[in-house]
Amino acid sequence: MNPARPFAEAVAVRDGRVVAVGPLAELVTWGDHTLDETFADHVLLPGFVEAHSHAMVGGMWTMPYVGYFDRVAPDGGHWPGCKSIDEVLDRLRAAAAELDDPDDTLVAWGLDPIYFDADDRLLAEHLDRVSDTRPIFVYHVSGHLATVNTVLLAAEGIDRHTPTPGVSRRADGEPDGELQEPAAMSLAKVAFGKVRAAFGTDQVAWNYAYEARNAGHTTITDLGTTQLYDPEQLDRWRRVTSDPDYPARVMVAAGPGIGGSGDHDEYARLAVDLRDNDTTGDKLHFGIVKIILDGSIQGFTARISWPHYYSAPDEHPGNGLWLMDPSTIADVVGAYHRAGLTVHCHCNGDEASEVFISAVEKALEEHPRWNHRHTVQHCQLTTKAQYRRMARLGMAANIFSNHIFYWGDQHRDITVGPERAAGMDACATALREGVSFSFHSDTPVTPMGHLHVAWCAVNRRTASGQVLGPQEAIPVEAALQAATLGGAYQIKMDHLVGSIEAGKFADFAVLDDDPLTVDPISLKDIGVWGTVLGGVPQPSSVSA
Amino acid sequence: MVSTSSAVPVTVIGGYLGAGKTTLLNHLLASATSRLAVLVNDFGEINIDAGLIESHDGETITLANGCICCSMVDGLAAALESVLALQPQPERLVIEASGVADPGTVAGFCHAPGLLLDAVIVVIDVETVRAKVADAYVGDMVAAQLRAADIVIVNKIDLVDESATAEVVTWLDGYAPDALKLPTRQSVVAPELLFGHGSTDRGDQTAPAADQRFESWTWSSDEPLERSVVEGLMGRVPDDIWRLKGIVRLTDDDRRAWVLQRVGRRWSLRPIARSAAEVVTSELVAIGRPGAVPDGWFADLLGQPSSSEDL
Ligand SMILES: [Zn+2]
Repeated sequence: MNPARPFAEAVAVRDGRVVAVGPLAELVTWGDHTLDETFADHVLLPGFVEAHSHAMVGGMWTMPYVGYFDRVAPDGGHWPGCKSIDEVLDRLRAAAAELDDPDDTLVAWGLDPIYFDADDRLLAEHLDRVSDTRPIFVYHVSGHLATVNTVLLAAEGIDRHTPTPGVSRRADGEPDGELQEPAAMSLAKVAFGKVRAAFGTDQVAWNYAYEARNAGHTTITDLGTTQLYDPEQLDRWRRVTSDPDYPARVMVAAGPGIGGSGDHDEYARLAVDLRDNDTTGDKLHFGIVKIILDGSIQGFTARISWPHYYSAPDEHPGNGLWLMDPSTIADVVGAYHRAGLTVHCHCNGDEASEVFISAVEKALEEHPRWNHRHTVQHCQLTTKAQYRRMARLGMAANIFSNHIFYWGDQHRDITVGPERAAGMDACATALREGVSFSFHSDTPVTPMGHLHVAWCAVNRRTASGQVLGPQEAIPVEAALQAATLGGAYQIKMDHLVGSIEAGKFADFAVLDDDPLTVDPISLKDIGVWGTVLGGVPQPSSVSA
Repeated sequence: MVSTSSAVPVTVIGGYLGAGKTTLLNHLLASATSRLAVLVNDFGEINIDAGLIESHDGETITLANGCICCSMVDGLAAALESVLALQPQPERLVIEASGVADPGTVAGFCHAPGLLLDAVIVVIDVETVRAKVADAYVGDMVAAQLRAADIVIVNKIDLVDESATAEVVTWLDGYAPDALKLPTRQSVVAPELLFGHGSTDRGDQTAPAADQRFESWTWSSDEPLERSVVEGLMGRVPDDIWRLKGIVRLTDDDRRAWVLQRVGRRWSLRPIARSAAEVVTSELVAIGRPGAVPDGWFADLLGQPSSSEDL
């Protein structure tokens, strides 16, 4: 991704940085050197940059995975997808057998029943076959549902009289084990306590970097959703990233948390102070701010302009939800904008992106500022006209291209309908309109791995194998640019990472094949040896 | 006041930005006569007299009058859990729903063991509410707030003339036909109306707005009630009875005590964990427009001896 040397034979590295890149004969003129031919049979790319992901994935992996799609754990373990309720139960039995304490709650994650046969809902009666003595709590991949067993229902006092909305019931009025939405899920207090404890350890941050490394990523973000700079989290990031073995650079976003309340000028001051004065080292970075405007399209909580949702279910009528008051966004964005920070705003629906883009426009009118790089995150339904405004305003886009594979069929058939689904996650529009863009996994929502996201952006295949809006497909070169410099640009790290270029960190993705020569439909299948971070090889823990 | 010692009553206060929600919270904190815990999104807006603050430790402010104010930075479920873990437990919880939240969704969290949802209160600005409901971005959200309300506080009536207030109150029936509507200014509302307990130490003190003058009646009996009689009573409550609540024993369930609550025209009858054995008497309190309850009304309907008292 270095225009001066788009392809090169070798790269010279000293003190963790690139001295030069080019033909070997040219590099040896720098003087004394040792020639390292470890990667003679591999292809080095700039290390991938993931500009929208969450460290919490590292906590999820402390629990067994029961999702539909195959997934690889940070320790390299392969977790084949659970394609039926029976396979889910088998997985849970195996996990239960590994717990020492017979009363310990078994928590599993990633359940994805929309791909099961119609009518197949995982219920308490199924989980009871795994255990009638141990509480079991299974998170669905949406994060909005959980299924629990009868032991857990009884232990938490959830019964036919529980008036909490979202406690799903059988015909006889007794709970069937499905807890829908956070209010009902929060009744499972012990399970939540267990999850909270799992998220509070350093292992979370290590697992997160392992997942990144295994997929060829060298720079990742933590777009946290909790209160700005929780001191414990901050300490954790300082501790792990100063460990020489920690295999990734992390950009930790500041944010007011879900709901977006608080003193934004004060938050901005803290964020600027960290960006300018934190001395942890070159693996910990600050300077971007994350705010969340709406929900998700598949959850029918994204804010979508008229004509709104295609066929919304009864329990989600009308439009989606605002997570912050749209009338306050201009003030919030203004506070961070004036302080010189880069605002990343979660906008799944186009009504949300409209509000954010307008807020940036107002901030710029009141306080002109160049090079802000305010970014529309997810950017899934952003319209052509909005992309044109973003280009003029100097904004960037981070597009959730993995949605095309994971939920593309649902978007076409249920959430937004065929036309808008064909135009969603519009990388080609961003390219055409001159909006600097990247794409993302939003892990743990989908697995981290830019080769897979690039495959989506290039091929636009859904899980059922259909092509969703081929006119929004982009060439492989553009996808690789998005996966590297595109991400680095919007988190303001493009002077440090994102290309193999003299002076930058020697951060590389080490691949088994050249993405530019393989059939584009095989992009996602290219093997990843691991990464090089600051000149140090970081082999993947995944066995081939 | 009817005691529900095994479960802390919870009031959810919603409403869009600028309607007067925070002013209401400030009144409640300053004038509380019981140990109130108020859960807010952040302390920024809450304006507690510095002289009242006893201690301020991170997410919790403790007041000299025994009340506490907690921020919900880690989410509502976590905040509820830590408030319930306090010793002594607060006597009442008030949760501030954010300006974009559906207070009905927030109320969903208030049925957890140890909690008893009392009412969802939504504050509106009489001058701006119709424009808000017509707004392209937030209209559906504000309408959802109104639909979730048991009580709508029609605030800032001093800024419009009387007929405008009356118009809004009528218009509200399109969204919240069963809710109790309380017109007021500067968010001043009698706690008895908000919380539904009978007038206690306030004596005949004048309620803040003319429309909020009220009277309360209590009724009690040592005999358990037939469920059908209670349900029948709910169908015949005059509209001028604004709130009705109490603990009753039912003939068809000798294991539990039941909480009866009615706000506006919405009502519920729910079991609470406390065993019926502890509840010797069934007791109901009604609050409403002065003279709303005719003499002997309870006794006639419930077929039980009444101990009606006017306050
Ligand atoms: Zn995210």
